[in-house]
Amino acid sequence: MQFFHGTNIDFVGKRKFFVTISTLINIAGILAIFLIGIEFGIDFEGGTEIAYQFSKPLHADVIRNAVDKIGIRGSEIKSFGKENQFLVRVKETDNAQVKITEAFNKYLVDYKPTVLKVDKIGPKIGKELRGQAFLAVLISIIAIMLYIAFRFEFTYGFGAVIALVHDVILTFLVVIVVNKLGWIDLEFNQSILAAMLTVVGFSVNDTVIIFDRIRENKDKMKGIPFLKLVNVSVNETLSRTFNTVLTVVLVLLTIVLLGGPVLQGFAFTMLIGIITGTYSSIYIASVFVLWYMHSVKKIQIDYEPDKKPELKTAKV
Amino acid sequence: MYVTLECDIVKLIEESAQRESVDDIFSEVIDKTRQEAKMTDESVLDIFLNNFNKIARPRGKSLISYFDIGDMREASEDKIIERLKNNSENAIDQAQEVIRQRIDKYGISEPTIQKQGSRRIMLELPGVNNEVEMRQLLQTTARLEFNLVKNNKEIVKTFAKIDKLLSDKAKRAKGLLPDSISAASSTMTQDSSNLANKDSAKSTKDIATKDKKKSKKDNKSEIKDTAKTASADSVKPAADTSDPYAGLSDQEKSKRYYEDHPFTTLFQSYYVTDDGRGGRSQPIAYSLPLEQYPEGEYNFIIPEQTLKKFNNIMARPEIKALIPFDLKIAREAKPDPRVEKQSKQKIYNFYALKREPEITGEYVTEARATFDPNSNQPMVLMGMNSEGADKWGRITGANLKKRIAIVLDDQVYSAPTVQSKILGGSSQITGMANVEEARLLEIVLKAGALKAPVQIIEERVVGPSLGEDSINSGLLASGIALLMVVFFMLIYYVKGGLVANISVILNVILILAILSAFGGTLTLPGISGIILTIGMAVDANVLIFERIREELYKGRSLKSAIDEGFKHALSAILDSNITTFITGLILYFFGTGPIQGFALTLMIGIIATLFTQIVVSRAMIEISLIRGATSYNFGQPKTLNI
Repeated sequence: MQFFHGTNIDFVGKRKFFVTISTLINIAGILAIFLIGIEFGIDFEGGTEIAYQFSKPLHADVIRNAVDKIGIRGSEIKSFGKENQFLVRVKETDNAQVKITEAFNKYLVDYKPTVLKVDKIGPKIGKELRGQAFLAVLISIIAIMLYIAFRFEFTYGFGAVIALVHDVILTFLVVIVVNKLGWIDLEFNQSILAAMLTVVGFSVNDTVIIFDRIRENKDKMKGIPFLKLVNVSVNETLSRTFNTVLTVVLVLLTIVLLGGPVLQGFAFTMLIGIITGTYSSIYIASVFVLWYMHSVKKIQIDYEPDKKPELKTAKV
Repeated sequence: MYVTLECDIVKLIEESAQRESVDDIFSEVIDKTRQEAKMTDESVLDIFLNNFNKIARPRGKSLISYFDIGDMREASEDKIIERLKNNSENAIDQAQEVIRQRIDKYGISEPTIQKQGSRRIMLELPGVNNEVEMRQLLQTTARLEFNLVKNNKEIVKTFAKIDKLLSDKAKRAKGLLPDSISAASSTMTQDSSNLANKDSAKSTKDIATKDKKKSKKDNKSEIKDTAKTASADSVKPAADTSDPYAGLSDQEKSKRYYEDHPFTTLFQSYYVTDDGRGGRSQPIAYSLPLEQYPEGEYNFIIPEQTLKKFNNIMARPEIKALIPFDLKIAREAKPDPRVEKQSKQKIYNFYALKREPEITGEYVTEARATFDPNSNQPMVLMGMNSEGADKWGRITGANLKKRIAIVLDDQVYSAPTVQSKILGGSSQITGMANVEEARLLEIVLKAGALKAPVQIIEERVVGPSLGEDSINSGLLASGIALLMVVFFMLIYYVKGGLVANISVILNVILILAILSAFGGTLTLPGISGIILTIGMAVDANVLIFERIREELYKGRSLKSAIDEGFKHALSAILDSNITTFITGLILYFFGTGPIQGFALTLMIGIIATLFTQIVVSRAMIEISLIRGATSYNFGQPKTLNI
């Protein structure tokens, strides 16, 4: 069986178009982060979050009323996977669990509430975790850049990092929008952070494999213009890229559909990240290296520069 | 259950100050520090010093005004700051030790206790069912103090005053008592002690057995009973002279007594008299004029039923104001085991203690529950360091035949009588009812080293049903995902795919084995880590097989294509896995609990992948080549079969 063999697709030929699209999407992503805002989960917000299961389905307002009755204001009630499962979130951390459970046993006794899980995060630790999350992403990006710069060249490291940032922003955009639309519960918590960081690792994984082929071909095919070199390398690794992405997507899709509410957000975030990661390996990371060779190092990257004059001034 | 604890350094600073010098200014500084410390991660001591400079200094206060470091000649701001700094740095280590002991004692299998940074302790407690109990166990402020027992006339008078205050208030509320309380007050306190005695006897019916035991237990209390005669005179005959309930029926008398004594009827008070054979407890009633209570030692016991009411009353500010400033009330941590065994009643002793501890637990170096070789009774041996031993010698010398309570977190665990001046710091504590009590005292004494209380700042509990539910769906999803990957590999790479599949399955087994060797439990994030590894594990083989195919297309022989395939794919596999490993490492160090689990699984997965996909897969292919295979199906088109 073979999906791709001897393909000769001009991947980077249309780079201008893709880079423009990517830039626009990234701007949209940054705008979304500021305009819609990230909805932080309990991990980064602090408070108490309790997942309850009831013996039969009920309306969220009924639950909110019960919580209101004991004088805890501003509770958030969210559905949690099934019709009879709800997340109750309040700002208080001290005694909220005991109080709310008592209230439910009193007012919702017919629904036989049982506690599924409890997360209690002090306000300080929530704020701290947020800082740590940011730092974790930043440090992993820097560490990856240094590693690739060490294994390849600095330009490659930089290209990989630009692709990474692209992926993170794009994934953020999708996460924010999907969460806003309420399709999947994707508030930013620790497992979404974990997914993001795994996306970082994966995205680089893909980029590295293409870079590795470029490095190999560069020695093998001396004199070949860089543009062609990149195209050949992407084409040669296409089969691997496709198969790996396919298996990973298969796995993630299964979890999104069957893995239950706890794993769903994680798997969905990764799914988006994997897809953009694959795309960005070709259209961001490789194209950046191409652009650098052309614009900074002033290397001729194509056979016939006269026929494609726009390349010289192309800004990507 | 997953918990993060943090040392309450604010409390530590507050506790380090000399209590008699604490004033509103200091409290203001502490309150402000507490508020600010809640929101930032800055050093609490820095916040405190900053606030102190802003609030207290302009009002002419210095650190020396509040903190005492022993030798006054050496007292300097720097010394105090240095000591506070040392204490706050050591606090976390002590807390960790204490918590480890508590958890060991609680009997949790395979707990993980880790220090996180300079102020936090992370705990993973698998299989904890009672979170409320666990929370208490963890958060209990393990401050051990030795306080002198002051169960004297003073506190009995105080109780009588509380009675009066409450009954007056109740009567005023009913309109029975006009504004001028003073006129009525003298008669109000004049109660029939006869009746009262009868009454208390009635309400102590269940505790009657306790009385006997009590006197036995008090055998050791060798108190010189200077007020014996006085008490005998004053307790008994008061009845006839001024009985405000005279002429009333017994029932009515009892009712009136309860109305007049809303507080002291919540518990039982005994006067300990010397009957020549040690001590004997005699119930007393609160019906004497304040000055007529005999000097000497008293005992107080309270049943569990009225404990809540008692505590509520004691918590009221106007009641607090009545308690002599140098005393505090503390009850025993456990109900009297003798009474509980006999009558299933939970009866607690409570004591009036000197507020300022004679000595704190920081000097205690060791504690051991053992048996007294002479009497074969359980006892606890306690050792102190040399500084503590000096102090302890002075304290015991000055308080011969007096009781010193061992108080942990304002609960009394034992209140032994000092039998002799103890030099050298090694003390024997006897009088435990059973071995468990001795064992508990040992733990209490050990826990006492902790100076700062801890707070739970993060807590995660996954209920058994959700845990099961989501682990089931997680496992189901992983199973299906694994099947799909296996199926795809088999179709696409045929025999190569089979090899890849065997190594992937081996990979999963390896991860599970390593995880269990690390003592990790299979959690949901762990499962997602494994699933991810499944997806990634095949990537290495895909890379290799694709490369082999390419080499075959170029016309290489099978053997050299395989060699070349592995060789060329290696750098890509290593680079891509190392970058993922880096992110795993960062996740492990920055994440908490569940995320760390995920990161650990991911990293183990990467190492297992490298081994299985490179070494095991290759070995399997090489073996079939050695056995004389001339062709190997990597799913390449038939024409290319060599």
